[in-house]
Amino acid sequence: MNLIPAKNDIYLDLQRRLFQEARILSAELYDEWLADILSDDIYYRMDMPQRRFREDKSGQRAPAKTPIFNDDLASLKVRIGRYDTGFVWAENPMNASRHIISNVEVFEMDEKSQFKVYSIVELHRSRLNADRKRFTVGREDIWVKSEKGYQLLERLMTLDDSVVLDSNMNFFL
Amino acid sequence: MEKLDDLIDFKTGRQKRLIYSDAGIYEQEMEKIFGRSWLFLAHECQLEKPGDFIRTFMGEDEVLVVRQKDNSVKAFLNTCTHRGNRLCKADHGNSKTFVCNYHGWSFSYDGELTGVPLEEAAYQNKLDKSKFGMVEVAQIASYKGLIFATFDEQAPSLEESLGEMKWYMDVWLDAMPEGTELIGTAMKVELPVNWKLAIENVSGDGYHLGWAHAGAMTVTAESGLAGLSVGNSDVDNASAVSVAGMNGNTLLAALDGKSGYAFYNEYQKAWDYLDENRATVVERLGKFRGEKMWGSQLNMTIFPNLQFLPGLNWFRVYHPKGPGKFEMWTWAMVDKEMSEELKQIILNNVSRTFGPAGMFDNDDGDNLQAATEQSRGWRSRQMDLYTNMAIGGEHSREEMPGVVSEGLICEQNQRYVYRRWLEMMKADSWADIPFYNSLEEAQATEGQ
Repeated sequence: MNLIPAKNDIYLDLQRRLFQEARILSAELYDEWLADILSDDIYYRMDMPQRRFREDKSGQRAPAKTPIFNDDLASLKVRIGRYDTGFVWAENPMNASRHIISNVEVFEMDEKSQFKVYSIVELHRSRLNADRKRFTVGREDIWVKSEKGYQLLERLMTLDDSVVLDSNMNFFL
Repeated sequence: MEKLDDLIDFKTGRQKRLIYSDAGIYEQEMEKIFGRSWLFLAHECQLEKPGDFIRTFMGEDEVLVVRQKDNSVKAFLNTCTHRGNRLCKADHGNSKTFVCNYHGWSFSYDGELTGVPLEEAAYQNKLDKSKFGMVEVAQIASYKGLIFATFDEQAPSLEESLGEMKWYMDVWLDAMPEGTELIGTAMKVELPVNWKLAIENVSGDGYHLGWAHAGAMTVTAESGLAGLSVGNSDVDNASAVSVAGMNGNTLLAALDGKSGYAFYNEYQKAWDYLDENRATVVERLGKFRGEKMWGSQLNMTIFPNLQFLPGLNWFRVYHPKGPGKFEMWTWAMVDKEMSEELKQIILNNVSRTFGPAGMFDNDDGDNLQAATEQSRGWRSRQMDLYTNMAIGGEHSREEMPGVVSEGLICEQNQRYVYRRWLEMMKADSWADIPFYNSLEEAQATEGQ
């Protein structure tokens, strides 16, 4: 890959932005996420992997053609609107969650105001009784520099599990 | 263990809670229900060419479903006949041989053992390879695109087992000339839930929709759904039916011809498709099914573990993994004739409503998990549970087969699912399992 690493100050700014976003998502401050972090043109997608043979022509661990998330701003607002109704009984009491961000890499793009950002997010959810769930996801983002600071324009994620091991995914990564 | 008859009472709609937690009962279910029912394997469209395979489950038995050279489909236990290793670890793909990773035995995709390393030097050519082929299911058959198999040679035919349910299945499978297909790949979720609780939920429980899914319904219900309301404040039961008494298979049906797409944010495009094609469907299925049912919200349950919902267009099979666990596989199902645009709308909607992060599905998991866990405690498991809503409302209707009750909010279907469960659990063989497809037949065979 001929990716050109971004300058250190940009790297630090974007890493700071990812950590801020992680804190917002862990605290479920979704209005802040919508208003401050996401671009109006956000494309937010997560795929599940399939187990395929390496020699399979479509490539090993080719993403499933059925996405878990395939959202734009309007549909993300619908998802968040569901939480705002107060009728999502599974989230009351609130499940404690931590979004842990690591392996951050930032690269320049042809479009000067945009940056490609790779990262890994590990989500820990403490649920009822002794129930603890863990998700790991690889992310490939495009962030764009705007008047409001860096905003998320595109996020493509692949879940590491080919079978989801929690009874819901009432969260964002 | 308690007598099976004490576990279920069809007349009063009672179940003993331990059926959701008891390991001994679960083992019996594997033998008596999953060991001899027709179980869904794959849709024909998933196996296009010879060598195309899918790895799936029949009960806890792992099977490979493989398209053959002559276009037939075979299903084999996914296990080496030598020392028992799993033969194939991919979810799906195309392969002409399955080679065991343990000692290198290789099997042709028609199941024959074709290669044994050191066959001469170590086995002195004394191994009769014809006796060590992959083990096939007892019977395999398909109904309008859906492939099923059973481990029981004595099982009656697939069509007889589906019974009059076929008349309702055709509302989706045979509405359009080219039939249906599954799109996308299976969305898989493991839930700490007894498999029967998921089946009963979709087979007949319209009652939970307005409450358990109040949040999702508030933000997605663009159009009306069969008189249901957020918060269960009101219901119009006259516009929908519960249908059961078809060998354990059940249907929930709105009768408005369009409510299936009620939770779509782009429902108008689906409604346009219905308008454009309704005349064709009426011609193929007649006025009642073409006008009242096609496009309506329909919940179809094929006993014991297949459910599909035309309209919401999800298609789901449940694979039990012990008394308190199952894996749930969900696809989007569409008419082949639909435009690519509409197929994509449907795929997105299935994912948003009933995928692993689906706004509706994410309401059900915790409730069903808790119902499973609360059937384990020493005191709780002795309790009874009831599906006793609208007992006595069962009737026949001229225009449709099966036993009918009014409305989506009605627990008739769950009672018939548990009745089938008991019939199969008690029976020594298929000869002892009654068949019924009408109120009259259901009453005549009750308690047999």
